[in-house]
Amino acid sequence: MGAPFAFTLPPELSAKEPPERRGIRRDQVRLLVIERATGKIEHTRFDKIDSYLRQKDLLVFNSSRTLPASLRGCSCGARHGPCMEVRLAEHLPDDSWLALLLCEQGDPFGCGLREGMQIEFAEGLNAAVLARDANIPRLWKLHFSISGTQLVDLIYRLGKPIRYEYISAPWDLDYYQTVYAKEPGSAEMPSAGRAFTWKLLLDLKRRGIESAYIILHTGLSSYMDDELDRAHPASEEEYFVSQITARKVNSARENGGRVIAVGTTVVRALESVADSDGCVNEKQGYTRLTINSQHRLKAVDGLLTGLHEPEASHLDLLSAFLSAEKIRAAYEEAIARKYLWHEFGDLNLIL
Amino acid sequence: MNRLADKNILITGASQGLGREMALRFAREGAAGLSLVARHADKLNAVRDEVLKIAPKIDIVTIEADVSKPQDIERIVATTLAQFKGVLDVLANNASTIGPSPMPNLLDYPVEDFREVLDTNLIGPFLLIKNALPAMIERGGSIINVTSDAGQVGYPGWGAYGISKFGLEGMSQTWASELGDTNVRVNWVDPGNMNTAMHRAAEPEEDPTEWANPADVTDVFVFLASDKSKGITGKRFQAQEKWKATLSK
Repeated sequence: MGAPFAFTLPPELSAKEPPERRGIRRDQVRLLVIERATGKIEHTRFDKIDSYLRQKDLLVFNSSRTLPASLRGCSCGARHGPCMEVRLAEHLPDDSWLALLLCEQGDPFGCGLREGMQIEFAEGLNAAVLARDANIPRLWKLHFSISGTQLVDLIYRLGKPIRYEYISAPWDLDYYQTVYAKEPGSAEMPSAGRAFTWKLLLDLKRRGIESAYIILHTGLSSYMDDELDRAHPASEEEYFVSQITARKVNSARENGGRVIAVGTTVVRALESVADSDGCVNEKQGYTRLTINSQHRLKAVDGLLTGLHEPEASHLDLLSAFLSAEKIRAAYEEAIARKYLWHEFGDLNLIL
Repeated sequence: MNRLADKNILITGASQGLGREMALRFAREGAAGLSLVARHADKLNAVRDEVLKIAPKIDIVTIEADVSKPQDIERIVATTLAQFKGVLDVLANNASTIGPSPMPNLLDYPVEDFREVLDTNLIGPFLLIKNALPAMIERGGSIINVTSDAGQVGYPGWGAYGISKFGLEGMSQTWASELGDTNVRVNWVDPGNMNTAMHRAAEPEEDPTEWANPADVTDVFVFLASDKSKGITGKRFQAQEKWKATLSK
């Protein structure tokens, strides 16, 4: 599946640092608002989002907490082998992990990665390389020497947030968390909600705008392989929609409120658990649901999201809300007005 | 008994003194889960073993960490929420340091020691509350900050410790008012003079047998952790006096 349209993102439009390090608050990023019915575009600031929301609307957030998912390890055995960055992508039901292994020197995929390899990390942590993932061949299945909360504790001791080339400095993990983050598990920050502050959340609540939370542990947005990234194979992601959230979604729809997903991960989770009438059920599981222009949205009416890269799978997802022409027009304006892209960038509200 | 059924509770400074007694008492009261945090794993694991003798089925995790370090706070909360599947009902900010012993007067207080005391006693609780709140705000929860009468009276020689507790009392009031229209309650407790290692180090010339055993001051903590205190927020409690009188104020 190709993206709905292609464009070139000028490099200066990548947000290189968090808003708080650009001299503004996290809720002062810009907001591009697109009206689904007409394609009308407005430009505002995120902290004025309340003027686009109504009583009984329901904002649904992804409360997955970002892991410091980048670990450094070296292959070990009779002789010490090459060292690599291990980017955790997904925790599997059998307690193993999928990870992207990037060699520190030379070809990132060329340092003899193979099944049976042992990787040694600091503090006595080890992992066995089990097999390549059948769906996304750049990912390897790893089995760590410890599991559960012991492993979470060590990941937090040893790891760093995954950082892409456009980011100017190794920002602390704290910058990669939403203010409402709870259970750890995301390889990358579910960044659409990053701009919310507690003050704004509590103000919205006072105004009768409801909120609910799902958990979807995000995978990697890039496999550092242009060809594979262009094909954007649908990764499998773990999600949890609670009974409370299912009830709030169903109740909002019954009462005439709009269900607004904060992030594409929320769209994916809610659409995965919605029946044909849009009724949402409590469920925990893994989803490979692909959402694109062919997908009829059943449970979600609106979307708050970042601005997505050319040919990113998220652009496909936007085309479930808007025609490609409307997205293209909005993105052209965003580029002309120098909106900022990526996890620390500006936002886009589609209603 | 069982006043804390279904409650997942995080206690800092849980390896000794009041923190240890809270852990044992909460286990007796049927707590569903305990996350015990302290700097020394061996002592912490000994408390875990004691808890498991009281409540073999309790969901328990121990985390070796230093609350004065922001990166440890993130790890404490992440590990706790991984263990408890994102649900936390009670946060007891108990970890505390007195700083150098014997305690110097302010005029002689080394600034790095001053900072360390504030980092542990004030910044640590601030960051823990900030990080733990998301797990409480939807279902409601209870934050209990352990303070001291040195947080109300400027005793000579109690330097950074007293100032940090003044700060903690003020911060507790601010949290309580900012969270006033949520179901998260914030209260703070002065446990009074207790026979603990920290207090003995602070006042080596005093007779510790005149001080209360920390096991004897845990009633108010059970009350604040339980649903019995629902709706009570922004209040200061004195654990050794008629603390129930606070409720009518």
